[in-house]
Amino acid sequence: MKLSVSIQVNGRTYDREIEPRLLLVHFLRDSIALTGTKIGCDTSQCGACTVLLDDVAVKACTCLAAQADGCSVTTIEGLAPDGRLNALQEAFWTKHGLQCGFCTPGMIFAAQALLRVNGNPSPEQIRHALEGNLCRCTGYQNIVRSVQAAAAAGVR
Amino acid sequence: MAQQNTIAGGPLNVVGKRGPNIDAVERVTGRAKYTGDIDIPGMLVARVLRSPRPHARIAAIDTSKAEAVTGVRAVMTYKDAPKVMIWGSRQYALNDRVRFKGEAVAILAAVDAETADRALKLITVEYEPLPFVLDPEEALKPGAPQLFPDGNLEGQPRMLNRGDVEQGLKESDKVIERFYHCPTMWSGGMEPRACVAQWDGDHLTLWASTQAPFRVHGSLTAMFNVPDANVRVISSYVGGGFGTKSAPHTDEALAAMLARKARLPVKLQYTREEEILDSNTRFETKIYVRLGVKKDMTLHALDVKAYINQGAYHTRLGGLGNQSTHVYKSPHVRTVQYRVHTNIPNTGPTRGVGDPQETFAIESVMDEIAIEMGWDPMEFRLKNIKRNGDPIARGAVGTEDGRLVAQALDKCIEAGASRMQWNRRNAVAGSPTGTKARGIGIACTERGGGAGLAGASVRVNLDGSVHVLFASTDIGQGSRTTLSMIASEVLGIPLSLFRTTAGDTEMAPYDGGSYGNRTLQGTGRAVEAAARACLQQILAAASPTLNNAAPADLEIRDSIIRVKADPARQVKVADVMQRRGRSVTGDGATAALQTGVDVERTSGAHFVEVEVDKETGKVHIIKYISAHDVGRPINVTIVENQIEGGTIQGLALTQGEEMRFDERTGACLTGSFVDLKPPTALDFDPRVIEAIIVPNEGTTGPFGGKGLGENPCHPGMAAVANAIYNATGVRLREVPFTRAKILRALSEPRRT
Repeated sequence: MKLSVSIQVNGRTYDREIEPRLLLVHFLRDSIALTGTKIGCDTSQCGACTVLLDDVAVKACTCLAAQADGCSVTTIEGLAPDGRLNALQEAFWTKHGLQCGFCTPGMIFAAQALLRVNGNPSPEQIRHALEGNLCRCTGYQNIVRSVQAAAAAGVR
Repeated sequence: MAQQNTIAGGPLNVVGKRGPNIDAVERVTGRAKYTGDIDIPGMLVARVLRSPRPHARIAAIDTSKAEAVTGVRAVMTYKDAPKVMIWGSRQYALNDRVRFKGEAVAILAAVDAETADRALKLITVEYEPLPFVLDPEEALKPGAPQLFPDGNLEGQPRMLNRGDVEQGLKESDKVIERFYHCPTMWSGGMEPRACVAQWDGDHLTLWASTQAPFRVHGSLTAMFNVPDANVRVISSYVGGGFGTKSAPHTDEALAAMLARKARLPVKLQYTREEEILDSNTRFETKIYVRLGVKKDMTLHALDVKAYINQGAYHTRLGGLGNQSTHVYKSPHVRTVQYRVHTNIPNTGPTRGVGDPQETFAIESVMDEIAIEMGWDPMEFRLKNIKRNGDPIARGAVGTEDGRLVAQALDKCIEAGASRMQWNRRNAVAGSPTGTKARGIGIACTERGGGAGLAGASVRVNLDGSVHVLFASTDIGQGSRTTLSMIASEVLGIPLSLFRTTAGDTEMAPYDGGSYGNRTLQGTGRAVEAAARACLQQILAAASPTLNNAAPADLEIRDSIIRVKADPARQVKVADVMQRRGRSVTGDGATAALQTGVDVERTSGAHFVEVEVDKETGKVHIIKYISAHDVGRPINVTIVENQIEGGTIQGLALTQGEEMRFDERTGACLTGSFVDLKPPTALDFDPRVIEAIIVPNEGTTGPFGGKGLGENPCHPGMAAVANAIYNATGVRLREVPFTRAKILRALSEPRRT
């Protein structure tokens, strides 16, 4: 049995017939070839697949594609549609908030979700908000600095 | 820290500066294609059937039902797998005998994941169980289950002798004997292993998440018996490696075998569980140490016996470093290493290889004897460390046939101690009386770098832009940036005009790969040589337009070639290149780093202040100073973050990441992040970790730089153990330092 879904991703609507069990992360990566969203684990702990679902940060491996039917999803490819980096991307770049970059798309959305509700977070609040996103390279220092810089630049 | 940023020949314009990674834009936009992101029309999905037993013969295997499933394109077992071992191991990609739980038994490729998953369940295997052994010491006892016909010991014990250690111990005024244990630990990156294989006739292209494309290349050319030119390995963006991806692995062979049989491209992507259970993780070490000192505070004899749990198959990689022989002066040293095969998954070199484990043992025992003798542990170290001009072995030999140069361990200790305010530590360990006790610890370390063959190409295009091509990889350490900065400094062409191709065996000359502190001092020297070759050609081409000035009298700054003595006479690099009509290319290759008696090493000292909650066993890091000699930092931002990230990885080993195996079944009990508990943003307050780059200049690396990646991961376990002792008076000799272990130790009667 296939399901018909209509999911808006980065402003574009995708109408697809999907398996009911298809996870949102596989819909993004395999069905519509947006591979910027990463898969780092199979137990919902690493956060590499974090995207915005109707402006809420979700781990796309914990969400069925069917649940996103009629919703709007933002992935990392959608943040700089005209090639101009948004302020969070800019901050992660200039503050050296990444090394290998595999966790970065997820980190950026976890940070984005925080800044939506708290435009001026303390380092503690940032670290709490990023607790569900693992990074093995940086030790998190520069990630926290990047989020602070993005907040200072007015990202909400 | 104010280091004058000049070398002979003038000030440096690029090297030694701060700056973000030049490829970060690809990574923050999702444009960077990691191996798992690659999609090829018609590509099949591969799945691996894994052994449920730690040691068994395959009595029967039936794949007929799986093969009959619509959409399955190829199924393979040991019956049709090449009988060629994976590089650096005793492992066949598929065999009729399995030696760890989780080893591949069969593989298949199908048109989609669902079909592959369904078909995999239809393969039936009859196992004939064999007795198994998990512990490296047990595995060497008579009657232990045997993994290989020649036994469980890999090769001969690695022995190193200097002086006469037994005599030295007899002569010592004080001798202590201790045992330190580091279990098997997970050390992977965020990106699980992945590869995509595609055959075009006899030519294989393999995209792989590897640190060492040419090692994988060598493994595959041997396996398929094809010329070097017939295999291309591409590892463009890698989501972390930390050593676990530094050796060829079964997955690359499995994908290539399947793709050849199916005559279609195949993607094999590990789940996180597969990544944990079938990767090359940090090996267990059981280290027995005897240390003897003289009353005058000199180290006199050091005897180290180590059992290294290599897991099932690896042969070439893994073992202790040189902490026992290279950090301190001692007339008598002996190390013996037994590398032992057991029925746990392959282990191998991970960040620091055996150095973190060895540092844990040596720096703990140094602390223990200093305290027993009533010496300041830092003064004891300063008294005994090797300094510039001291004899040191050039290789893994006992004889000190070389001379230490460009060393700065003393400066690292002094800078770190000053920043930590070492004198604040408890004069009497365990003296704090409250529930929460603070203490301070120190640990020193060292390592070499730049070993093996390296190569790179630099191409200056007709518009004056530059391409740097190298077959080592950027696994996140920033080598695209650092290597480009080296070429930019040499060429006088701004970094903004640089592009890189990393990790491609068809585009770049041979290079061993990115591991072991080697990219900067290996690939970096090759890039420098390649860029200098380009520079000479550009200057020669410019000479006619600058009144035939000798190339030696010319220089390039900001892509403008000038006559040094008369800067008004100038021409743009792009104009010279256009006129020349051919791009300029330079190749660089380097071999042995040090050929004379001079020995250059990279050292560091860590200082940590902890607070131990005696009621809960929780250890809280209050302050952590990581002082490192990196020679001249090429990019200060990158170096600082390498130190910070490496320090956290070292600290992670103190709190979790242990891989535990069930004695009854051989099963790994820690196959997920829930069990391994890698650090989150909450575990260590980033603000307490401070990186200090000690001013120094190397003698062999490009612009005096030294490789660094491994070192910051070495001292954490020892420094924290020493600080916990200073806080509480209890000595922990086994990592990780779980709350249960600390509470148990605190409840035991205290030795005085």
